[in-house]
Amino acid sequence: MNSQLFLLSLGDFDLGDMLFYVISFILMIWLVKVFAWQPVMKIMHDRENKIADNIDSAAKSKEDAEKLVSQREEELAHSKKEAIQIIDQAKKTGKEQSEQIIAQARVDAQDIQEKASADIERERKEAMSDVKNQIANLSIEVASKLIKQQLNVNDQKDLIDSYIKELDEDD
Amino acid sequence: MGSFKFLGLTFNIANVISITVTFIIMALILIIFSRNLKERPKGLQNALEWLIDFTNGIVKDQLSGDEGSRLGLYAFTLFVFIFISNQLGLFIEISAHGVDYVHSPTASPIITFTMAMITLAFAHYLGVKQKGYKKYLSDNYLKPFIAMLPINIIDEFTNLLTLALRLYGNIYAGEVLVELLAKMAFSHGWITIAVSLPLEMIWQGFSVFIGAIQAYVFVTLSVVYVSQKMLPEE
Repeated sequence: MNSQLFLLSLGDFDLGDMLFYVISFILMIWLVKVFAWQPVMKIMHDRENKIADNIDSAAKSKEDAEKLVSQREEELAHSKKEAIQIIDQAKKTGKEQSEQIIAQARVDAQDIQEKASADIERERKEAMSDVKNQIANLSIEVASKLIKQQLNVNDQKDLIDSYIKELDEDD
Repeated sequence: MGSFKFLGLTFNIANVISITVTFIIMALILIIFSRNLKERPKGLQNALEWLIDFTNGIVKDQLSGDEGSRLGLYAFTLFVFIFISNQLGLFIEISAHGVDYVHSPTASPIITFTMAMITLAFAHYLGVKQKGYKKYLSDNYLKPFIAMLPINIIDEFTNLLTLALRLYGNIYAGEVLVELLAKMAFSHGWITIAVSLPLEMIWQGFSVFIGAIQAYVFVTLSVVYVSQKMLPEE
């Protein structure tokens, strides 16, 4: 070959070489396909799918986590609100109850006061009537003593008049 | 010229041996690289996947749709085959009594023509399959107008020629220079060896680079031709 130029070699046309090359090339394509191409392609596709799956699942996990976080935050805010509400409610109830108790105490005090003053009044009246009776008895005693000592007609008459007068005035 | 006849066909011994060697090397490399494939790639699997991604990238640049997925395997096999073929002749160059036994298969025009023909046959086949005969014919040969028909037909042949000869020329020239430097080294004893050795090493390193570039260019152009046949005419 080294002394030959291209045109000379075309002169004795080596058809066999062409055939040999074509056959070996086709055989080689088949070999490559079976031993290298298909396995490598399969592996590459598998890897591609795996990576895509991983990316997808990572994105999904992230989304889930974010959802969970927002849910938790919402729940937290909700429970805070609820706690505030409960405290408010308790305060309100306490206030109402205290007011109620105070009012009740006022009413009770009023009642007791009224009752006490009524009692005092009644006792005073009783005492007064007792005193009146005693005075009446006493005066009757005095009168009877006086009558026993000096009783004439005139004096008796005056006395009765004065009594009647007094009684009139009393009524 | 070392050649033999079999079933009425002429076989070049150097080409047959070189292709076989390339075939064996490639098969071994791929089988070793594709052992123990795992979802978490490691070592050799990374290299294989990188290579497949690389050729898939070439295809995707031209055909981004579903059509591209059918081309990936072809582009990958072609790339690795051409790359190994290009490097083979740089390191193993066996000749005896003026007859080559092993060289780069791609340093032989008949092989690069075969590669280009496979590519173009594949392109035409996919074009017809994708568009149907009628649309394929009108898109390929009657656009932008009917008078372009002869030029379009010539274009098909120039595609074939440029694709094949670019690869052949680069690799053949590289091999010739490698051989010339080797001859120079042994022409005048130790002095020429001392001069030629670094030159040879530099040129071999550069040729590795050229071989990689040419494999890339060949595959890229193949995909471009296929995509031209498959995609609707703008």
